[in-house]
Amino acid sequence: MAAKKLYESFSRELIEEVHRWGSMKQTGVSLKYMMEFGSKPTPRNLLISSQFLHKELPMRIARRVIDLQTLPYGLSLKPAVLKVRDWYLDSFRDLRSFPDIKDENDELEFTKMINLVKVRHNNVVPMMALGVQQLKKDLHPKIDYKDLDEIHQFLDRFYMSRIGIRMLIGQHVALHDPNPPPDCVGYIHTKMSPLEVARDASEDARSICLREYGSAPKVNIYGDPNFTFPYVPTHLHLMVFELVKNSLRAVEERFVDSDKVAPPVRIIVADGLEDVTIKISDEGGGIPRSGLPKIFTYLYSTARNPLDEHSDLDTIDLATVSTLAGYEYGLPISRLYARYFGGDLQIISMEGYGTDAYLHLSRLGDSQEPLP
Amino acid sequence: MAAKKLYESFSKELIEEVHRWGSMKQTGVSLKYMMEFGSKPTPRNLLISSQFLHKELPMRIARRVIDLQTLPYGLSHKPAVLKVRDWYLDSFRDLRSFPDIKDENDELEFTKMINLVKVRHNNVVPMMALGVQQLKKDLHPKIDYKDLDEIHQFLDRFYMSRIGIRMLIGQHVALHDPNPPPDCVGYIHTKMSPLEVARNATEDARSICLREYGSAPKVNIYGDPNFTFPYVPTHLHLMVFELVKNSLRAVEERFVDSDKVAPPVRIIVADGLEDVTIKISDEGGGIPRSGLPKIFTYLYSTARNPLDEHSDLDTIDLATVSTLAGYGYGLPISRLYARYFGGDLQIISMEGYGTDAYLHLSRLGDSQEPLP
Repeated sequence: MAAKKLYESFSRELIEEVHRWGSMKQTGVSLKYMMEFGSKPTPRNLLISSQFLHKELPMRIARRVIDLQTLPYGLSLKPAVLKVRDWYLDSFRDLRSFPDIKDENDELEFTKMINLVKVRHNNVVPMMALGVQQLKKDLHPKIDYKDLDEIHQFLDRFYMSRIGIRMLIGQHVALHDPNPPPDCVGYIHTKMSPLEVARDASEDARSICLREYGSAPKVNIYGDPNFTFPYVPTHLHLMVFELVKNSLRAVEERFVDSDKVAPPVRIIVADGLEDVTIKISDEGGGIPRSGLPKIFTYLYSTARNPLDEHSDLDTIDLATVSTLAGYEYGLPISRLYARYFGGDLQIISMEGYGTDAYLHLSRLGDSQEPLP
Repeated sequence: MAAKKLYESFSKELIEEVHRWGSMKQTGVSLKYMMEFGSKPTPRNLLISSQFLHKELPMRIARRVIDLQTLPYGLSHKPAVLKVRDWYLDSFRDLRSFPDIKDENDELEFTKMINLVKVRHNNVVPMMALGVQQLKKDLHPKIDYKDLDEIHQFLDRFYMSRIGIRMLIGQHVALHDPNPPPDCVGYIHTKMSPLEVARNATEDARSICLREYGSAPKVNIYGDPNFTFPYVPTHLHLMVFELVKNSLRAVEERFVDSDKVAPPVRIIVADGLEDVTIKISDEGGGIPRSGLPKIFTYLYSTARNPLDEHSDLDTIDLATVSTLAGYGYGLPISRLYARYFGGDLQIISMEGYGTDAYLHLSRLGDSQEPLP
């Protein structure tokens, strides 16, 4: 069971180290840099990269430990949040106790270790969501979600930081692949076709819709089939999947009792000089202007969480948790993914008609990671 | 010639009065209230309305005089700005020197007087724009428009206040019309069809485009032809005209050397419970994300101003100035009109493809005027 107090499980020295490393200045990396550096994954470069991560990861992880300790409204003391804090502390300790990386062997061991760290943290999002649910139960019902702005801001910083940590670790691990797919540098596809990713994500979203409703509106996708640019396909897939899923649902719900044919969802992929913009438009009836701010909050989400109050937090199996695709943190986290590489996600709605989502992806790739 | 110093033309007592009235608390009115009150334009109600305006207008006008005196970067001393300040001072004096309104005759005289005040201020926008141009010439070229945020905020407040003053005056004057058009309460059309206004504004915009380019893209308008709601048609006409004009221009410029047929501009009118939303979409090539903030600034506008450096500010004739439709303040001022009755204007663009403008109009009409 997660220890309530930090010092019950962890030594005073460790706590001091956490505070020391949590104050150090983080170093951001751009997609362009990751791509150029990773294009030559020589043993020497992998050594340099691992030495960078050996210093950088503890800084980022320590900051999150400190954040987790100082949440408002008693969120820090919720069992699920304490569990997450313990994951971060264990990872911090693993990194700090790893000796200096001097040769290829050290580097391989280090890479294995950070991959395990990544795996340890696989379920952070549903676990934090459970903590937030535990908090909601305790809160006075009259508290408006808007008042909990501090918590929203914390979660934005926390999840953005997590995206960065997992990108750095995942990229480093992937560079060790002896047979990488063509045109790929780790997680980055140097010639990614946004049209193709949008098609795949739409098909996945339509499958889910078909399963839930027995039918799924068509999705029409327009854009240059030959256009490519460097990006991380899994990130884009996640975002498009989320947006199309929301659009399909809205249209299904609107036309469920209607004789009319459900109008298709339309996706437009536009390539400019600065940005690649993907617009996902539906005629699902829209969202009132007053309701729009809520869609990006974490506390608002109403979907059921597979982790509930009665789950034994220590024995959650990965299979259960992996069905969390779409448990409704999708929009705020999609926006974080968009912003991670210098892009953005905007949602505009026409009440009574439908909603348009605009995904802006920076084409230049020279935006430094946000470092909250 | 406009007096540089306030006290050169105006007495100390007047200056003190301005400061006193400029600190009094303004009273906002909603569209719903204006409509209900104005639906019974009895002599008694007109008396009440005039007595309200007799107190309210000097407060609003005095605030603007004080604002105009305290602008940064020496904008307050530009000849064009001094001229505007003098107009506001003359109007303040006219209102303050008008005796208490006791009967129908007083009320008619008052109405004539405030109508003349409105006419006096007809050219405030181009005159202020000239003042801003005069300022731009003097500014260090390295100053970024973003640094001049104080001036943008002043102009937003100033023009918003002007919209309110002119609405109140115009509405009161219009209520004296012995033969009002059916379903109209002053400036407010209680059964305005947004589709119809959009059609008219679109035709006007296409005429301008035709004159400038020799051709004009089609505009397709979709929406319920039977839907009506209470609004001020002239406001909506102004906004739609501006947005369609911009869209037509963008499409013309993009396809001028092309064999392809220019794609139509599409307008969708959606009616919801809270809002009526009008979307104007074009495929005119879009605006880069980095360029979007500028489109709502006043200092950025590059269109030529019929009032230029060499105009004699005292002899500008109304005919010249009235051809100012579209001299480049259109977007920021359209947004003010949208916000005046609780709505908004949002512009999203897809670089390399086109731009979407979303005009949200509050359907409930219970939003109080903004009172900057």
